[in-house]
Amino acid sequence: MTVKRVLIFAPILLILFLLQSYFWVPTYEQQTRGNPKRLGGYIAGSIGDASLLNPILSADSASSNIETMVFEGLIDRDEQLRFRGRLAISWQIYEEAFFYVNRSVNIPGLGTPTPEKIVDLLEKAKQKKITTFPGLTDSLANITEISVIPPRHYTIIKQEKDPNADKQKIEIKINVDSPAKIKLVLNRVDQDLFQNLSHLLGKNYFDSFPGQGYLKTDHQLGKDKLTAYTRELLPATEHNPILKFFLRPGVRFHDGHIFDAEDVKFTYESIMNPKNLSPRISDYEPVKQVTVIDPLTIKIIYKRLYSPAIGTWGMGILPEHLLNQKALKTEAMRLGKDPDSFSMRHSNFNRQPIGCGPFRFREWKSDQYIVLDRFDDYWEGPPNYSTYVYRVIPDLLTQEMEFYAGTIDSYSVQPHQVKRLEEDPRFQRFSGTAFGYTYIGYNIRRKPFDDHRVRKALGMAVDIEKIINYVLHGQGERITGPFIKQTDYYNHNIKPVPYDPEGALKLLQSAGWKRGKGGWLEKDGKKFEFTLITNSGNDLRKAILAIAQDAWKQIGVDVRTDLLEWSVFVQERVNKADFDTLILGWQMGIEPDLYQIWHSSQTNPYQLNFVGFKNKEADDLIVKIRQEYDLNTQVEYCHRLHKIIATEQPYTFLYVGKWTAVLDKRIVIKTVDTAGKDVYERIKPTKTGNYSFHFNKWIKLPEVPTMLDEG
Amino acid sequence: MLSFIGRSAVQKAITLFFVSIVSFLIIHLAPGEPGQVDPLNPKFTPEVVERFKKEFHLDQPLYVQYLYFYRDLFSGETVSWKDNQSVLKKIGERFLNSLPLFIVGTIITWTLSFPIGIRSAILRGRMYDRTATFLSYLLISIPGFFFAYVLIILVVTHFHVPVIGMKTFGIGDVSLTFQFMDRIWHLLIPSILGATGGIAVLSRYVRSQMLEVGGQDYIRTARAKGLPPEKIHYKHALRNALLPFVTMFGLILPGLIGGSVIIESIFSWPGMGRMAYEAILARDYPIILTVNFVSAVLVLVGTFISDILYLLVDPRIRL
Repeated sequence: MTVKRVLIFAPILLILFLLQSYFWVPTYEQQTRGNPKRLGGYIAGSIGDASLLNPILSADSASSNIETMVFEGLIDRDEQLRFRGRLAISWQIYEEAFFYVNRSVNIPGLGTPTPEKIVDLLEKAKQKKITTFPGLTDSLANITEISVIPPRHYTIIKQEKDPNADKQKIEIKINVDSPAKIKLVLNRVDQDLFQNLSHLLGKNYFDSFPGQGYLKTDHQLGKDKLTAYTRELLPATEHNPILKFFLRPGVRFHDGHIFDAEDVKFTYESIMNPKNLSPRISDYEPVKQVTVIDPLTIKIIYKRLYSPAIGTWGMGILPEHLLNQKALKTEAMRLGKDPDSFSMRHSNFNRQPIGCGPFRFREWKSDQYIVLDRFDDYWEGPPNYSTYVYRVIPDLLTQEMEFYAGTIDSYSVQPHQVKRLEEDPRFQRFSGTAFGYTYIGYNIRRKPFDDHRVRKALGMAVDIEKIINYVLHGQGERITGPFIKQTDYYNHNIKPVPYDPEGALKLLQSAGWKRGKGGWLEKDGKKFEFTLITNSGNDLRKAILAIAQDAWKQIGVDVRTDLLEWSVFVQERVNKADFDTLILGWQMGIEPDLYQIWHSSQTNPYQLNFVGFKNKEADDLIVKIRQEYDLNTQVEYCHRLHKIIATEQPYTFLYVGKWTAVLDKRIVIKTVDTAGKDVYERIKPTKTGNYSFHFNKWIKLPEVPTMLDEG
Repeated sequence: MLSFIGRSAVQKAITLFFVSIVSFLIIHLAPGEPGQVDPLNPKFTPEVVERFKKEFHLDQPLYVQYLYFYRDLFSGETVSWKDNQSVLKKIGERFLNSLPLFIVGTIITWTLSFPIGIRSAILRGRMYDRTATFLSYLLISIPGFFFAYVLIILVVTHFHVPVIGMKTFGIGDVSLTFQFMDRIWHLLIPSILGATGGIAVLSRYVRSQMLEVGGQDYIRTARAKGLPPEKIHYKHALRNALLPFVTMFGLILPGLIGGSVIIESIFSWPGMGRMAYEAILARDYPIILTVNFVSAVLVLVGTFISDILYLLVDPRIRL
């Protein structure tokens, strides 16, 4: 029967044809050891693909991996996490401070102040050594220049919502009669300047400045609006920190164009351009003005004290000549799109980026790979690898297979896979502490979590060491506060909450909770019961959920648990602060700015201080930390803040995870010594555990060098 | 015939319209928001979120969003929120990548299932039938990714050749024949894996259909006539058993666009299924909705084709 034969033989022939292709495929051996070119390339395995290869537009880790290779920022962080110059050789931070001449007060010994009188007073005080207020002496000594800005009259037009009609906007004309201002140039940033000066000018000199009297509007405005405008247009005092970068001469983009200060300014302007929808816009919001002084000097003036702003200049610099208005217009015309709505987001640049980093872009196949070539004109000297490949392999097991076979050099190794690779002599292993922690958060708005004794007792009842040993297989460490453990900001003097169920019971007893019927804790006839929630899909958190529930049951607390799908968890419970306790984690940046997570102003719905932590002293420190430019002082404030949070226990800090990375042992650091000879060294992680810090000097050798094999 | 086509076109257009509304609503009612407006990223201030919402028209009422989306879709201007690439272009590329997998998988499934199922029906209750039944249920009940992993580990550790991706990574400058054969090799395991599940299910259907038809009078007549059993099964019985498969054949068309999420993810195959899956995770509405719409169209086209096939297969049916 032909039908039967066709039905049987057609698929068999097809399968045979497919099978014979085996003889044509290169084996792994041919691809890796048999291929000398393989040694010159580094292949990184990744689970996901990049989205937009433009540092100002993308916010995902895959894209930023490629961007750090292709683009270069003005600064980055060195092995000690201190700033180090890249496209900038050096920089300078100083301050310009302003305050108005306040005629509404009497200055002790001066009477009604005039600009001249105040300048005179300050000059004299600077000469005299005042010892009663040591802070004032320092602040005065720090002033290098005192000048007067004469009164100014100007009009400003603001848009406001019409209170009578929805969505209608009305224009408000504001006449500003700005009085004379004193300008101080300071050697270094001084956040206590005005506080110290008030010892000289009178206690309420700054507070009592009647800014509102100098404003006239043509529409009736509410009191709040008026105060807001006063604060914006006529602030009694103003700090303007200034950051001046001196750029590296002779640096080129991959297309040969010379890099200069205009590119830096352009990058800043592109981020601020609302058309580009840059997710980084909030980083640069404190910037008041960016001025190019000469092609190699750029000055950034800030609106207010905000020290984390320095770190934002690690942002990759875009080539202005390829993305400016004119270039975008030409591209829009070529593609037949409307030039008015065509923005950087639509440009093809995002799929073939050009920067001045160590690698230049070659090819991108969506969801398959991205290939970069070495940039021979790199200012720091070209990297050793001639290509860098980013290979997308979404499955972790196949990633591991490819890694064993040698067709990828790195992959996101899982804790349970580490064991398998540990004893293998072919690989070297690195591990370090991650930049994030997991915690149990208590909703402080709700009883009984408003009592810090209760929060601490609950923390004491859970054996966190056990969680680390058995849930994380030892791939974690205890953490006591919200800073990154390997930075100086972290206060190592603080001891973690001990595991002590007896002590927990005693503490609860002092808070009024006593064992009642059935062994449950009770207070005023009410049983101690609440719900602990977390998101589903995270096995670690799920395990912790069960462990905590059990531990709390042991001391007589009735806990119900719930797993919620991530988006429901976040939108319905976290954002609306509708929970008793939850398990969650934070990923941290190096900057010690904790404003969004811990400041009391951030406790509203949809804000990140969802546990509702409010502490006056902590608020004060949080603000001071972000205003401080001196590292040592900042560290001191951070240690104090860390202590407050550790005492208050708004979270039970559980652990910070450890990451592990595995590399072929044949990958080493190659440098050339003064005699021109190649020197090979083992790859050593930096203090913070960053093993790829010297990536540009890495190279893969055909064999493991013997001198490196030991130890 | 013509009036049937006309009627069916109108009906399908109406269905499509409702499908478009329902799928649009489902996506928007589902919890979660696109990564661009993720409130739990401290970098995203309310202003940035607002601006993204405005750009994506998420601040408008649903019916306005609906109109915007379908206007863009029909003028071919829909772009993915993730990377600003044209959705239709992306789908086109992925479609071509998934196509070979689909074709090879379908050919193997729709050929091998018949002899296997028919033989099971003939040898009903005997050793062959029991083994086939056991194996089918085994294949149906054990998840596909498990076999995929076993196969990958076997091939990689024993034959030392790469299996993932559409071609050997970095194959470089080799002759076209080598490149072609390399691609064929990479097609082998995923398509066979895709086919095994299909064979397991389809051969069961074939078996039960054949058993049902086997009891009919005309089969007894054919036997009584003294026709060779081969001819009875493959001509008289099979033809009459085919009818339900015509419906199924119409329904495999959407599989073309759905692809196979698991197989494509495990084998790093840059196909449709993986793209759609990742889009769902990232709440990339334009991609999800377009894929949804296109597969709805394919389902309707598929049912239309199976209607026409009915006409051809069974002359008794009049439309």
